Amino acid sequence: MRIPIEWLKEYISIEKSPREIAEAFTSLGLMLDKPIENGVLDLEHRMDRSDWLSILGCARDLTAFENLKLKYPKLHIEKGRTPTKNQVVDIKVECSDLVNRFNTKVFRNIKVKPSPEWLKNRLEAYGIPSINNIVDITNYVMVELGQPMHAQDLAKMRKPEIVIRRAKKGESITTFLGETIELDPNIFVLTQDNIPTVIGGMVGGIETGVDETTTDIVLDAGNYNQTNIRKNSRKLKIQNETVLRYDKFLHPKLTEIAIQRATYLILELAGGEYYENIDWYPKKTPLKNLELTYKRLKLLSCMDFLPKRIKEILIALEYRIIEENKTGLTLEVPYFRTDVEVEDDLIADILRINDYAKIPMQMIDSAPPREITPDIYKFEEKLRDVCVGLGLHEHITNPIVSRNTKAKNQVILENSLTSKKDALRTSIYETLSQVVTTYKKHKFTKVGLFEIGKIYLVEGEKDRFRSYKEERVLEVIYRNFALNTYENSNEVKRILSGIMQNLGIKNLVGEVKPDSFTLHTEKLMKISSYPKRITTEIDNYQTEDLSLVLHTNKAFGEAFEEIEKFDKNILKVEVTEEYTSKTLGENKKAILVRITHKAKGFSKIKKKLLDTLKEKHQIETR
Amino acid sequence: MQDQIKNIRLQFTEELQKAIKNDAIDELYLKYFSKKYGIITKLLKELPKLSPQKKKTLGPVLNKLRKEFNEKISEAKKEIEHQKFCDPLIDLTYPLPPKESGAFHPITQTTREMNEFFRYYGYSICEGPEIETAEYNFRKLNLPEGHPATDLQDSLFVKEPDILLRPHTSSVEARILSSHKPPIRAVAPGKCYRNETSSAASSAFFHQYQGFVVDKNITIQNLKATLEALLQFLFKGNVKTRFRYKYYPEVSPGMGADVQCKFCEGKGCEVCKHRGWIEVLGSGMIHYNTLKMCGIDPEKYTGFAFGMGLDRLAMSKFGITDIRKMYNGELVYL
Repeated sequence: MRIPIEWLKEYISIEKSPREIAEAFTSLGLMLDKPIENGVLDLEHRMDRSDWLSILGCARDLTAFENLKLKYPKLHIEKGRTPTKNQVVDIKVECSDLVNRFNTKVFRNIKVKPSPEWLKNRLEAYGIPSINNIVDITNYVMVELGQPMHAQDLAKMRKPEIVIRRAKKGESITTFLGETIELDPNIFVLTQDNIPTVIGGMVGGIETGVDETTTDIVLDAGNYNQTNIRKNSRKLKIQNETVLRYDKFLHPKLTEIAIQRATYLILELAGGEYYENIDWYPKKTPLKNLELTYKRLKLLSCMDFLPKRIKEILIALEYRIIEENKTGLTLEVPYFRTDVEVEDDLIADILRINDYAKIPMQMIDSAPPREITPDIYKFEEKLRDVCVGLGLHEHITNPIVSRNTKAKNQVILENSLTSKKDALRTSIYETLSQVVTTYKKHKFTKVGLFEIGKIYLVEGEKDRFRSYKEERVLEVIYRNFALNTYENSNEVKRILSGIMQNLGIKNLVGEVKPDSFTLHTEKLMKISSYPKRITTEIDNYQTEDLSLVLHTNKAFGEAFEEIEKFDKNILKVEVTEEYTSKTLGENKKAILVRITHKAKGFSKIKKKLLDTLKEKHQIETR
Repeated sequence: MQDQIKNIRLQFTEELQKAIKNDAIDELYLKYFSKKYGIITKLLKELPKLSPQKKKTLGPVLNKLRKEFNEKISEAKKEIEHQKFCDPLIDLTYPLPPKESGAFHPITQTTREMNEFFRYYGYSICEGPEIETAEYNFRKLNLPEGHPATDLQDSLFVKEPDILLRPHTSSVEARILSSHKPPIRAVAPGKCYRNETSSAASSAFFHQYQGFVVDKNITIQNLKATLEALLQFLFKGNVKTRFRYKYYPEVSPGMGADVQCKFCEGKGCEVCKHRGWIEVLGSGMIHYNTLKMCGIDPEKYTGFAFGMGLDRLAMSKFGITDIRKMYNGELVYL
């Protein structure tokens, strides 16, 4: 919300500097968003307070905060002339689900001319260009009070009527900006003689605009279904000052105040006479009542407020005290505070106007509750430590990728800013491998990377939440650009073995590729244990190397497992070398195995082991 | 016998010097103390065979000798080790590349620091799905469909309007509050997504850190004190803080927390966009309706919640100026 300080001072006599005023607004919830330029504050609006899209609304909070008095703008409260039957502009609403109120007045014999300097200057400081006094007044009142308004030239109307209805398929409208917009029945329009002239709550057409030739006008202030305007303005990509306010919650009563204010200004600046016209408001929106209990205020704030101070704050914010007793207040919420829902919102107002800086600080003094951190979180943290310990660099890559037509079960986004980023990854390799390219580009000779994250899949009906799966994965990529594929894959295997050793996992898990492997961390956690990598009796351990000879096309894995599990005195088995040579004989290979074992009784075990290898696996020793 | 001992001592002294020179102390030790053939061992073995008188005189002498040789040998061992370390060929100042070591991503490091802070105060660490329902992402957080505040998060949808990528970690709060009974004290770090054009300052993919507490008698004073402690922790106890009202749909009263800009000390400069302060986090007392919708009695329990972005924090810690480079593979560890 932009606030020209000169305009603000219309409602509040404040001596502070723009910077100090900005600080006060910031404390109240309207944070200064951009540098102060030419006496205009640009404050961040947080969507809740529709009255903070009006300068008067902002001024009201400031007066309460600074303990000053709010100066109300002048209104024209007296009723207008009663129109004759043919002077009435007929108002019909055919979509009462979308319109809450449509309040109109008619002005005749006015003089349309340029606005006076003060009005021009204020609008321009706010950021709206000046057109003529009538258009400027509708804009001025919108910025001042937060109610969008609209004036039409009676002479240019096809018929003295405004019919509000849903648009028909195929209808379109040309806005005063010259843009043609296609309409549909979700959108409601103001029509004359069955021709749409205004898109309800969004933008006016060109036909009935007020210009220098205009003498008679119909002025309207409507209150519409907020959700409808919000949805359709986004669909039609219409963003303007009107939509900005209409897609928030406004109270229908605001139309009354806005019309009284506009009437005052029109009579003042354009002269003429003014007539009553139809105020379509079939179902009155009541004002909200809320209870404030001092007990709740104390419970949330742990502060002691005197009832006098509480009332002072609430009255400054225009709450009406309906009832008062020892335990609290019954309040009528002012019409412009559509954001106030619950008692705690009243408490927020009290603490806010009293200034958050005055809230004392007190640490929680109750005992910490039971721990609920999931095991998988701790496990993945440990896994990170293990990977970094093995010399790998951690990366986090963006899981949003381009859609892959070949990928099965990929999660596709329905909306995205670019078609390049419209799906979720089905493997981490997809996104992590980009990092390899960067390292290569920067002439690193090798890269060891890991990412612990998720992959995303959809299985089954896409509108069921349960169809979406997020799988937790560890991905490791290792590339040494000096090695060939076979050598590189050995390095990858060593990293994998390192991880398994750290996690106390004996058997190979996951899928290994020459440059990478993928492990599902939840499965990994289930089979990991605290690895026994510590001993206090290292002296008793000895190693012995065995040279095993077998046929070249025989796999060694099974025999290796046999050795590992052969006897509990065998503590560790490693392969140290594999070779072929003429001395071994044709089609033979030798594998050197180093066995770490307990010293006692190994010779017997060894004999048995060699016999078994010979019988079951046709392996000889050299 | 006495003469023999004298000779042994002379011989030992001579051999010790040689052994030091030749790095052969272990051999020397065995020569004198081996269980089978050690010179001293042998002499000691003969001791019981001698007459009581001789035993009396020779015993202490031999023991003294044993002790003396042992000491000299271990001293010599230390000396040799020391000599090795003092080898003039070793140039300790010669620069060599470090042994390879891995490193954690800036987000992991930042998250771990935050976790460490909160673990001390008894918080658990929680998680939730990244593909979320509108129920947990909006409705339970007091954000009905079409509410103006949904503008604060422009979401990426997987299936409109009910399934989306979470735009904040508040959804984890809604899940934990719905599935656990108070007292609850937890933080939730995690990935978030928004439908916005990526730039150096903001990315469609980012990280948030959420915290929430529900218990009897939790007050806004507890919230303020917790945030103050957190900010002092994050900025090394050396920062001015500011607390102000700020609206968030899932809390009431809401609270924003800022730290004073270090570059201009609050006067306003380029770094703080002329605000003088840098917004660090959003927070508030958990909304009455949120507690109710999560199945917690808001008359009996109160609570607070806060959320903050992790990316900017990590970026300032590591001097990264473009958020996209943290996630698109352009991050290189040296």
